[in-house]
Amino acid sequence: MACGPSLSLLRSVALVWRTLRSMRTALILLLMLAGASVIGSLIPQLPNSPEKVFGYTADHPLAAEIYSRLGFFDVFGAWWFSLIITLLVVSLIACLIPRTRGTVRSVRQKPIQAREIDSFPHYEERNVTLPAGAATTVCRKVLRRKLFRVAASENSLAAEKGSAREIGSLLFHWAFLLIVVGAIYGKGTGYSGRAAVIEGETWTDSLAGYDGSIRTGRFFGGDFSGSQIRLKDFEDTFRASGIPMDFVSRVDLLNPDGSLVRAAEIRVNHPATFAGVRVFQYGFGWAPVVQVRDDGKLLWSGPVAFSQDTAPEGVPQLALPWRGVLKLPSLDPQVGITLELWPDGQAFLQTQLTGQPVVMVVARDPIIRFTTYSGPLTDPSQRRLDTSIMKEQAAGILGQGQVVDLTTGRALETGADPNAGLTISFPDLRKYSVFEVSRDNGVWMVLLAAILVLLGLLPALYTSKRKVWVRLESGEGRTILKVGGFAVQRKSQFSKEFSDLVAALERAAGKVNP
Amino acid sequence: MSDLEWARFSNDLFNLALFAYLISMVGYFAYMAFRREPIWVASKAVLLAGLLAHAASIASRGVAAHRVPWGNMWEYSSLLAFLVVLAYVAVIEGAFKVRSLGGVALAFSVLTMGIALLGDFYVGPAPLVPALNSYWIKVHVVAAIIGSSLFALGGGVLTCLYLAKDFKERREERAVVPPPIMGGAIDLNDPPDFATGADEPVGLTEQTGRRGLLPPSAVLDRMAYRTIAFAFPIWTFAVIAGAIWAQEAWGRYWGWDPKETWSFITWVIYAGYLHARATSGWKGRRAAVVALVGFVSLLITYYAVNLFIVGLHSYKGF
Repeated sequence: MACGPSLSLLRSVALVWRTLRSMRTALILLLMLAGASVIGSLIPQLPNSPEKVFGYTADHPLAAEIYSRLGFFDVFGAWWFSLIITLLVVSLIACLIPRTRGTVRSVRQKPIQAREIDSFPHYEERNVTLPAGAATTVCRKVLRRKLFRVAASENSLAAEKGSAREIGSLLFHWAFLLIVVGAIYGKGTGYSGRAAVIEGETWTDSLAGYDGSIRTGRFFGGDFSGSQIRLKDFEDTFRASGIPMDFVSRVDLLNPDGSLVRAAEIRVNHPATFAGVRVFQYGFGWAPVVQVRDDGKLLWSGPVAFSQDTAPEGVPQLALPWRGVLKLPSLDPQVGITLELWPDGQAFLQTQLTGQPVVMVVARDPIIRFTTYSGPLTDPSQRRLDTSIMKEQAAGILGQGQVVDLTTGRALETGADPNAGLTISFPDLRKYSVFEVSRDNGVWMVLLAAILVLLGLLPALYTSKRKVWVRLESGEGRTILKVGGFAVQRKSQFSKEFSDLVAALERAAGKVNP
Repeated sequence: MSDLEWARFSNDLFNLALFAYLISMVGYFAYMAFRREPIWVASKAVLLAGLLAHAASIASRGVAAHRVPWGNMWEYSSLLAFLVVLAYVAVIEGAFKVRSLGGVALAFSVLTMGIALLGDFYVGPAPLVPALNSYWIKVHVVAAIIGSSLFALGGGVLTCLYLAKDFKERREERAVVPPPIMGGAIDLNDPPDFATGADEPVGLTEQTGRRGLLPPSAVLDRMAYRTIAFAFPIWTFAVIAGAIWAQEAWGRYWGWDPKETWSFITWVIYAGYLHARATSGWKGRRAAVVALVGFVSLLITYYAVNLFIVGLHSYKGF
């Protein structure tokens, strides 16, 4: 048959759609998301802790190879993680559209009259004094006052209450979807990265400004704001034990043309927002100002941002020295210097004498230990020095304000010609501040959706749908009030509500005094 | 009093509370076994005294540290244990009028406090590191601890008891045909709106349940469900408040940090539990297993992430 293949194609599409539409599929996908998250939390992740991933790769090469192929080192960026999210979104939409349509229909629809009302789980009969017609009118008022939706036909009423449960449940699920959409939109069109700014210097929001630490979304077009941040001053406060108290960066926020937007203080938990980006206090470090002279000619003058190694177990991070690299490519042979800053010279002495690590939080007689290497500079990075084919020339210690000969490692004696030979000096010690800079235009969508999730959750869990029918029959000079009803959820609480309702209806329709 | 004296005062009261909980726990187990009214009265009195001492311990810890007393693992553990006992007194004895479960709830708190003592979580009172110094900590941590204590009660204590009682009932009633499961299938023609209530008990009801150490399984089942349904929005709120805090402190509301990941996993499992309750064939025992898995995930969120997995939330000591 000619239409065979297309029919079977249609069928299989329909089958896929039907599968996606079932709540079971959505639940399984949600559990798969949880399972993927478990993997992501147990195996070190590249975006969060790259040094651990490298450590793991060195220790377990085979497992690391498998993990890396499966994307386990970056679970939340893996294609199959995106696939789970996409399927979950599609499945949720497929679940929600018909449910929403059904709810809209049932909310619009008038409550349906029942044929037999004495067979409901709750049923009561009462004698009342008002005639049936008038009693129907007052009963309708009572039900309305109790926020029931009521449909009336001749001397009988059908009422229901508690659509909030289903509406709340739908709101919860749509809002959950909106969180996912908002997150994908915000992360997809935004970027985030780290910016290290030395005191007194100005940083520009551009690709180069992030020095490789940038993470951009899939749909980010490269339109950095070009705005600038000038760090006037960074201040950190510690307790004597080394526990940080406060970090403050005093900055000027500047337009791309350099004009001032405003001055701001950025501290932990108090980010600055401007030009569509948010700037958070992330970290800090030392940046000694170093000058290198070759026979009096200035080869380098300026601050160098130093960083720390990760502290081994049991050693406080701030007890470690800070490391930096200085390269002098113009010399022949080329020269590279590794520098090790001890911001607290007394702590350095104490560590040397006792072997105990001492936390260094303030600058006191800072010293720099250096080693000079000569030979070709092969590593293009500003942070590392490949010394494998270089020759160690000298090593020494440089105090603040001193001038030291780089080729011998000895300090120049007083009265010696300061312009002779290759010398290094250390006139000033500054700090740098590390900012996390991010642009995420989806934050408001996610926040709004999160609030809606909560708003929907409460009625979805704590309200219940109740249905009640009232019939009034005339007989023997009296009117008989018949009330039947049931609750779909929270049945045990309904008994009391039902008997209260019957009492209220009886009172309104004229209670017969015994 | 000086800060140090306040801290010592707080520790003494902590030990006093732990001691009182231990005695009360033994008393409650005795009450469960012998059902003598005076045993319950005495146990409850000791329990309330312990609760009072514990409250004073937490308050004086706050005085000693000049901040809210939930800044590190020691303080979380103390507060968590306190809230489980408080929730037991308010919810199980107060709202559900069930007296026989005190021993189990207290055992959880005693264990939590014991782990805090033996695990050497103790650190002296000190100000918070800058990242924790936000008013969102008050909101986020309070919600997280209340949510965890209720999950521990519902998903852990009550669910275990339900499974135990259910096992016993089934063994005893094997000859009796069990009542049909009143499950509401969820499909498109029959949306959950019309499904039988998720909170309705499964199995024997109060009247037919036989007397024993524990309340009937149907009662335990309903208590577990209600407690979890109560905890779920609080936990949801805690996760949201944590995301807002993370946005303020670290510049991203969600970064798949281990704590974030595991609180999300716990959330997903309990969301699955609530859905399972509304699906036919997934009530009772199978739903209880989901609740237990959620409890394990909660324990990982609380202990393992802080102690073994290094992330931004590794707050044990400083």
